[in-house]
Amino acid sequence: MENILEVNNLTKEYDRFSLKNVSFNLPKGMIMGFIGENGAGKTTTIKAILDIIQNYRGEIKIFGLNSHEDSAMIKEDIGVVLDDMFFPEILTPNDINFAMKNIYKNWDSSLFQHYLELFSLEPKKIIKNFSKGMRKKLEIATALSHHPKLLILDEPTSGLDPVVRAEVMDIFQEFIQNEECSILLSSHITTDLEHIADYITFINDGEIILSTTSDELFNQYGIVKCGKEAFQKLDTSDYVKYKKNKYEYDVLVRDKKAFQRKYHMNVIDKITLDDLMVLMIKGEK
Amino acid sequence: MEIIISNSSSVPIYEQIKEQIKNQIISDELQAGELLPSIRSLARDLNISVITTKNAYMELEKEGYVKTIPAKGIYVAEKNMEMLKEEQLKKMEEHLEQAISLALLNKLSKEEFFSMIDILYEEEK
Amino acid sequence: MIGFIKKDLAMIKGNMKVLVILFIVYVAMGFASEMNISFILPFMSVMIMLSTFSYDDFNKWDAYAVTLPNGRKNSVRAKYLTTFLIVLVVTILVMFFETMISYVHNNTIDFENVLLTVPITMLSTLLVEVMMYPAIYKWGIEKARIGIFGVVFGIEIVGSLLIKLIDFSKIASAFSILENYGLLLFMIGTLLSLVISYKISLKIYQRKEF
Repeated sequence: MENILEVNNLTKEYDRFSLKNVSFNLPKGMIMGFIGENGAGKTTTIKAILDIIQNYRGEIKIFGLNSHEDSAMIKEDIGVVLDDMFFPEILTPNDINFAMKNIYKNWDSSLFQHYLELFSLEPKKIIKNFSKGMRKKLEIATALSHHPKLLILDEPTSGLDPVVRAEVMDIFQEFIQNEECSILLSSHITTDLEHIADYITFINDGEIILSTTSDELFNQYGIVKCGKEAFQKLDTSDYVKYKKNKYEYDVLVRDKKAFQRKYHMNVIDKITLDDLMVLMIKGEK
Repeated sequence: MEIIISNSSSVPIYEQIKEQIKNQIISDELQAGELLPSIRSLARDLNISVITTKNAYMELEKEGYVKTIPAKGIYVAEKNMEMLKEEQLKKMEEHLEQAISLALLNKLSKEEFFSMIDILYEEEK
Repeated sequence: MIGFIKKDLAMIKGNMKVLVILFIVYVAMGFASEMNISFILPFMSVMIMLSTFSYDDFNKWDAYAVTLPNGRKNSVRAKYLTTFLIVLVVTILVMFFETMISYVHNNTIDFENVLLTVPITMLSTLLVEVMMYPAIYKWGIEKARIGIFGVVFGIEIVGSLLIKLIDFSKIASAFSILENYGLLLFMIGTLLSLVISYKISLKIYQRKEF
């Protein structure tokens, strides 16, 4: 399977925070959910991919090309939604259309109009007067209207109510009906990702601690709930992290079937992304 | 075609899809040669990951229920009666094993067990 | 790059009402008091352009612009060209009304005055803007704005001190040689600073992280 995006050993140092050897691959035709706490490095990683920050070590390849050197060509085929970075709010959707016609070679005015209608966005209203949710919808419409091949979306569903979120998720799934197209999507609303993401990449404190197919994650990982006595019998190599609660232990295991064969424990829960995040970050080893 | 997915079930989603398509093929609701939805459109319509539907179809293909014709799509395969029967027999065995272990638990004699089967068999027939 | 210019123009259009009212007030004042209105030129063009920088900054447009094809280069280039365009349009308007004012009051048209003062004001305006931009790109509009006021204020103080201290008759005679070529030299100088300023801004912006 060919990769549309490859991030290799991305390292970037700041005074109080750094990205350490961030690596992951996004194959064509797939949706990757990018999760992590606020401040874990999601936005910094996305900014490096988009060349917004440049002085980093490591290599980023998009469509097989170097993301920095072939930037102009690559960007014709990327659509982005960034957290709080967009056209100045004095402009209207019509103004955006007016300018974008000469910015992207493939800008499709009628597609943009279609999204404006779909999202009930008034074309002559200035962005300032849109609600937060409306702004997000406008950003999504703008990101989609030049027929991009790769969508890079930083928190695209924040501020949207559940109905619109479902609508937007449908649009994203429609987008990858074309097998050449992929999406990198960061979100803290993990239920969105549990449904549609094909891959989950989890970043914590500037490091990737997990990048795998969601199928593997949900079918193989599990949470074992057990008492103190049972917990003390476990081999440390058989679990990833554990958390001690008042009445029981929550233990994150990588292969719940193998675990069951070895220990014959019955209370193994299905994992959710929220559980995973909490146990990975707060759990002990 | 009808597929109902439960997110709370402990059965993996790809297996739920696989089982439901399989049952519909066995019960002739899906006819041999019928075109099935593509991996991507099924994922979209069920709101699930592409890899999940891909796995479901791969398993179905491995077991001989569907076949992929490159650049055309995924079709319901000709039913292989022998294979189907074997599969059903295996399932029967599993259920019987369960029944027997329950019988043993309750200290039922072989005769009592057989007479129970006799009665039920006649009722179903 | 045209798309980026269109975006800047659309932003100016968004503020058009205020700008037109302001312009009308000044022109009316000009008619009423026979005042020279060429001060409108630097005042309005600088105000218009700085407001586009402020709006950009407020919504972090620059970071978004970088994600567009050739975003870094086109952003800077578009700002310089829009500036030129705005200064040109305002110059034409000012020239027209200045002529009208002098005609209404004196029944004659003082072409010499209009044709000399307005182009010089235009070039000075360009020069001022061109000197500001690298600072804006380097430190951001908010910090640069304070810096710009500081510099203007400083020049004024130093200038007024110099006027008191220096015997200008000597300098004036030295400049008389330049008088015939003055405008031409000024034009070349402005164009040169424009190019240098653009190169510096571009270099700053190419390396900038948002």
